[in-house]
Amino acid sequence: MLVLSFERHIEVRAGQFAMLRAAGSFEPLLRRALAVYRQMDPSRLSFLYQVLGRGTESLARCASGSKIEALLPLGNSWPVDNSTSAASRAGIAQTDRAIVVVGGIGSASLLMLCEQLARQQCEAHVLFGARNVATAGGCGLEDFRALRLPLEITTDDGSLGEQGFVTKPLERLLSTPDFSQAVVYACGPWVMMNRVADIAARSSVSCLVSLEAPMGCGFGVCVGCVVAVRTSGPAGYESYKRVCIDGPIFSAENIDWNVNPNSCS
Amino acid sequence: MQTQISHDPRLAVEIAGIRFNNPVMGASGTFGYGLEFAELIDLNRLGGFSTKGLSARPLSGNAPPRIVETHGGMLNAIGLQNVGARAFVDNKLPLLRRFDTVVIANVFGYSDEDYVEALRILNDGEGIAAYELNISCPNVKEGGSVIGNSPVAAARLTEKAKLASSRPLIVKLSPNVTDVALVARAIAEAGADSLSLINTIVGTSIDINTRRPRLSYGTGGLSGPAIRPIAVRMVQEVASAVDLPLIGIGGIASASDALEFIIAGATAIQIGTANYYDPTITIKVIDGISDYCDQHQVENITELSGSLERLRG
Repeated sequence: MLVLSFERHIEVRAGQFAMLRAAGSFEPLLRRALAVYRQMDPSRLSFLYQVLGRGTESLARCASGSKIEALLPLGNSWPVDNSTSAASRAGIAQTDRAIVVVGGIGSASLLMLCEQLARQQCEAHVLFGARNVATAGGCGLEDFRALRLPLEITTDDGSLGEQGFVTKPLERLLSTPDFSQAVVYACGPWVMMNRVADIAARSSVSCLVSLEAPMGCGFGVCVGCVVAVRTSGPAGYESYKRVCIDGPIFSAENIDWNVNPNSCS
Repeated sequence: MQTQISHDPRLAVEIAGIRFNNPVMGASGTFGYGLEFAELIDLNRLGGFSTKGLSARPLSGNAPPRIVETHGGMLNAIGLQNVGARAFVDNKLPLLRRFDTVVIANVFGYSDEDYVEALRILNDGEGIAAYELNISCPNVKEGGSVIGNSPVAAARLTEKAKLASSRPLIVKLSPNVTDVALVARAIAEAGADSLSLINTIVGTSIDINTRRPRLSYGTGGLSGPAIRPIAVRMVQEVASAVDLPLIGIGGIASASDALEFIIAGATAIQIGTANYYDPTITIKVIDGISDYCDQHQVENITELSGSLERLRG
């Protein structure tokens, strides 16, 4: 967990991210994109992340009190605010029922959404999937529990909750009439989100996903972090969207799930 | 719009009759259409910038993954995704006119005819100071470095582009050649007004677990501080070979990096990859060059251009 204090107030919406790098460091070169986990107060934000490579390693090495170079808030946000009808702008049917599907460290993008759903007294159901009991803890399970929303847990090895993938309780939930009009919000590994998108499509419910791709800049100029989107006509300029400024949140039905932006297939 | 910028008069430079308030520009492909930086820096402070490569028709670019970080740099294989020359003229250029900075339109095509067509569209655009001909993009299968790596093809395109262009023509050189001076001479003789160098260096990176390339295109262009010594050497070689103003590019991330290029023979410089991790880097480099002028009693930055002391030996 990284907690950053800013000199001024920062207003962040659920699902937005920041580009971060240890101040004055030369390696690695590029800043890393991390979702804002929580707005602790008007000038303090926390980031929950996994150490996966050189960038996150160098952030993890930062001593308490050290300076971080940050660019934020970046990207769009989860459309949940009924009052401004952000949901309808995003083409999402307004609903008071939500299913939030958490896949591992995808939790980082989803806690603020769950906080918002809880505040709005939306009937939100959280499905929390992790590899095992230890990673579930590392992915902020207790913070989700504290929101007192209905919560189901799955782990790959069965060390906590139900054994199996998080898509199991999702299929179960969507087969009940209560959730036939729900909106599904998901963030996690590409394969998981692909499955979630399929299941939501089969149940004819809206599904929003927060995507990840290797990012150069985070503000739209490098055009490196694209995802393939479904187009009706021949491949044209609109075939690729930038995760950093067109996203990171997309309607799942618009994504071409055959093209994983994180690895060559 | 009235601007209140007071530029350091020592930093003004001229290339092909175009006056730049200072020698620092944003490099093509890393600076979008300029507008993306308007909220992050004061664009009026820049010497100028070169747009993302513009083609006659919009291009969708390569499939992802398109970038991978390496030590001291990154590989990219974007594949020239761009809005197209017409959309640039109609939608971006009007918004750029309120800024007092030199706008260079970077131009790309798959064939000589494509380049000429893009130039003709851009000729309609008010507010473009010059063209930068991208004959060195390594991330497309036709055009780009296929042309830039051959002195004959590069000279032929330069001649055609010069005829089609209503504005000064800068040609951006490929480093993926054995003798960069040979290509530079051919392009200079064909009528280019200025040369910019270097574009990215072809490289690749392999995922050892999947035994696949990390970039979907297979290879990419290496940029960032790792390539700077190669770029400075090439600027030095080209400066000795041709009598044209040069724009140095390649891994510049500080004022001292920029000054290396200028001393090696560049009149101006462009900053690329560093914009990604520090969007304010161009401003820092401008201020740093002013500081250098203070410390070294430089009255005009043009004194420094090509001032490299040769070692006796």
